[in-house]
Amino acid sequence: MDFFQRQEIARRNTRLLEVYFALAVIGTVLVIYLGAEFLLNFEQNRNVDSNGNVNLTFWDPQVFTIVSLVTIFVIFSSSLYKMSQLSSGGSTVAEMLGGRTIDVHTADLSEQKLINVVEEMAIASGTPVPLLYLLSGEDGINAFAAGHTTGDMVICVTGGALKYLTRDELQGVIGHEFSHILNGDMRLNLRLMGIIFGILCLTLIGRILLQTRGRKNPLPLFGLLLLVAGSIGVFFAKLIKSAVSRQREFLADAASVQFTRNPGGLAGALKKVGNSGSLIDDPNAEDASHFFFANGLTESVFTWMSTHPPLEERIRELDPNWDGKFIPVHPIRHEEGADQSGNKLSPAGSGGLQQLGGLVIASAAILPQVGAPTARHLDYATDIMSKINESLIDAAHSTMSAVALVYALLLSPDETVRKSQLERLQSNPVIAQEAERLFSMTQNLESRARLPLVTLTIPALRNLSAAQFAQFTNDIQSIFALNGQADLFAYVLQKIVLRRLNPHFNPPPNRVPQYYAIKPLLPDCAVLLSAVACAGQVEPDAIKIAFDLGAKQLDDPNHVLQLDTTAYDLSKIDAALDRLNQAAPQIKKTVIGACAETVAADGVIQENEAELLRAIADTLDCPIPPFLAV
Amino acid sequence: METVLILLGVIVVAALAVIIYVIGAYNNLVSLRNRFKNAYAQIDVQLKRRYDLIPNLVETAKGYLQHERGTLDEVIAARNSASTANAKAAQNPGDADAIKQVTGAEAALTGSLGRLFAVVEAYPNLKANEEMIRLMEELTSTENRVAFARQAYNDSVMVYNTSRETFPSNIIANSFNFTAAELFIVEKPEEKEAVKVSFT
Repeated sequence: MDFFQRQEIARRNTRLLEVYFALAVIGTVLVIYLGAEFLLNFEQNRNVDSNGNVNLTFWDPQVFTIVSLVTIFVIFSSSLYKMSQLSSGGSTVAEMLGGRTIDVHTADLSEQKLINVVEEMAIASGTPVPLLYLLSGEDGINAFAAGHTTGDMVICVTGGALKYLTRDELQGVIGHEFSHILNGDMRLNLRLMGIIFGILCLTLIGRILLQTRGRKNPLPLFGLLLLVAGSIGVFFAKLIKSAVSRQREFLADAASVQFTRNPGGLAGALKKVGNSGSLIDDPNAEDASHFFFANGLTESVFTWMSTHPPLEERIRELDPNWDGKFIPVHPIRHEEGADQSGNKLSPAGSGGLQQLGGLVIASAAILPQVGAPTARHLDYATDIMSKINESLIDAAHSTMSAVALVYALLLSPDETVRKSQLERLQSNPVIAQEAERLFSMTQNLESRARLPLVTLTIPALRNLSAAQFAQFTNDIQSIFALNGQADLFAYVLQKIVLRRLNPHFNPPPNRVPQYYAIKPLLPDCAVLLSAVACAGQVEPDAIKIAFDLGAKQLDDPNHVLQLDTTAYDLSKIDAALDRLNQAAPQIKKTVIGACAETVAADGVIQENEAELLRAIADTLDCPIPPFLAV
Repeated sequence: METVLILLGVIVVAALAVIIYVIGAYNNLVSLRNRFKNAYAQIDVQLKRRYDLIPNLVETAKGYLQHERGTLDEVIAARNSASTANAKAAQNPGDADAIKQVTGAEAALTGSLGRLFAVVEAYPNLKANEEMIRLMEELTSTENRVAFARQAYNDSVMVYNTSRETFPSNIIANSFNFTAAELFIVEKPEEKEAVKVSFT
């Protein structure tokens, strides 16, 4: 089951959830209506007829309409409100629970360890580095991830997790969180939160009404009614929430093992949870309980109310020979130098990892790897990080030097061009100077390490103010313009950087897919396939063959797809990508599959093919792990 | 009875609309406030680096500047009070007074460092000392980073203050005690530039 199928399943679950939710709303409306009717009868004695007999009416269309309209309005508007609030990103959830950001420049060794683990995993899975938060006051071992797209992810860990888990165990937990991210669970979770909040609003209003005072005041009774009905609604909503999230937890555990190749790490973490607990003290934990790695609330008597599968079951899935005993916890002491900036740990079996120039790869290997990084990718990432100059990684972690580093990577090796580029940066001479200094260091950088280094700068760049980011964007565009059309790497670099930072500074409106069929997008696909074909081949025949291989993957009965040799033009590629970005995920999958076929036409992936494919995948929000030798 | 119910419905809807607006405005102010507090955290990181470098600098210079103890002591004292002021401000960057104290202490520190460097000019042995050169370079680099972080902080404070003062969010701001944030301005105009160290 691949990345796209898993996303499709997550989407289907969301739809099912909405059906259940609709049922819960109808149920709530009925309860409120019946209650209101009952109160009205009781209140007015209006049904006492001439003989003094009381007739209870149960059906009053006017009352029903009003009650249902108001209730539905309240629930929907508050749900939409909460969902829009949460749509601003995963940070909202983290801050709600009292998390504080972990600065990448931290001196704390345990935080450093966490940052290194997260950076390795981001490089290995091809996603941006998530923002890190810490719940320092919490001693239980727990973690969660939140966010809408891979671009705005947030991972939060508790103080207990940092204190009690070894590097392997921490890696297992973070791998679990990354799996949630790559499976698209986060969207589902955020929607759940919004929906439950909607129903909860009724109880809130009820509580407010309950506290009003006054003679012959019907409001408190109404309040009580709303409170009761709302509570029943919330009860059912929680049932739904629990059923959905339990299933996802097992999946995430399995994916984490695939990622780290080390079931012992995750199992160890879970065994420690058995002893030290994973409870979250914060009262808001209830709202976000389905986000957490382990159960954040006290175990309820009814297992079907719990958001997570039983701990013992999860451990046994990972470690069938488990003796049933939990591991006692004690604070881990950190070895100096093991995890200081520039991860020095030597990965197992990294000897055979090849340089990228002319890597042999099968096209069938690319698509399944999307969103499904394995242990080999993790080793590769560790290897890369150990090879990058420590001062470059340091520069990437500090905001001002991260800006300079991005400029440095965009500077041309040609001295005259470089001079005019540096002139464009004179609005901030200090940064220009720093960029020049870093440029000489980047000359020694392996080409395969350039894009991962860029990935590492993103967290620091998020600290720019809005005005500084505008200046940064302008500067990037202006020095990129001087680079000339030939520099594919520069194009990929600026596209990825701006794409990953833009949502943070200019939150986009919620994107609904515009295209559900591939037919209107075929011209754009032609541009893309032509560009990819030209990137990897020189002979016109070879280019045509590669193009045709890719075109075969797309549904094109009218043969609209034509090779366009002028398509290897960055502005054309850009325009095509922007349009393709508005397509439904299944279409994106097909397009990336087609590009992969074209790339693999000659059985070898060249460096510029790899970079172009990476830019395409990044724009279409499909995380591709680094390319490894077959 | 129906009219009462309709009225009730209208009241609920209207109340909800107001509540939603208030919550939205409140959350917006909270998020802007968090943003400038986070921006202060960036300044804090760089200032701490600066404060860590200064004792090393003074130690290196001590051997050469036997007769300039006054200047050296002044630098240490200024550094200590700036460090304390910064720690206090870092805890609550929303406290305008705390920020004012930091900017004042920082200005004093920069002033005394300036006097120290003026004195160092007269001691060529000290000027040529490798450790001294390295420390001064790091100090310059750190001050550049402080300036950059300061710019980001001031940008976020401007956005927050504007939101706090414009109508209608100013009503929400005042009801919920959103105080005005203070800009991080270096007071003395001649200290606006990073302390330039040149050995030519």
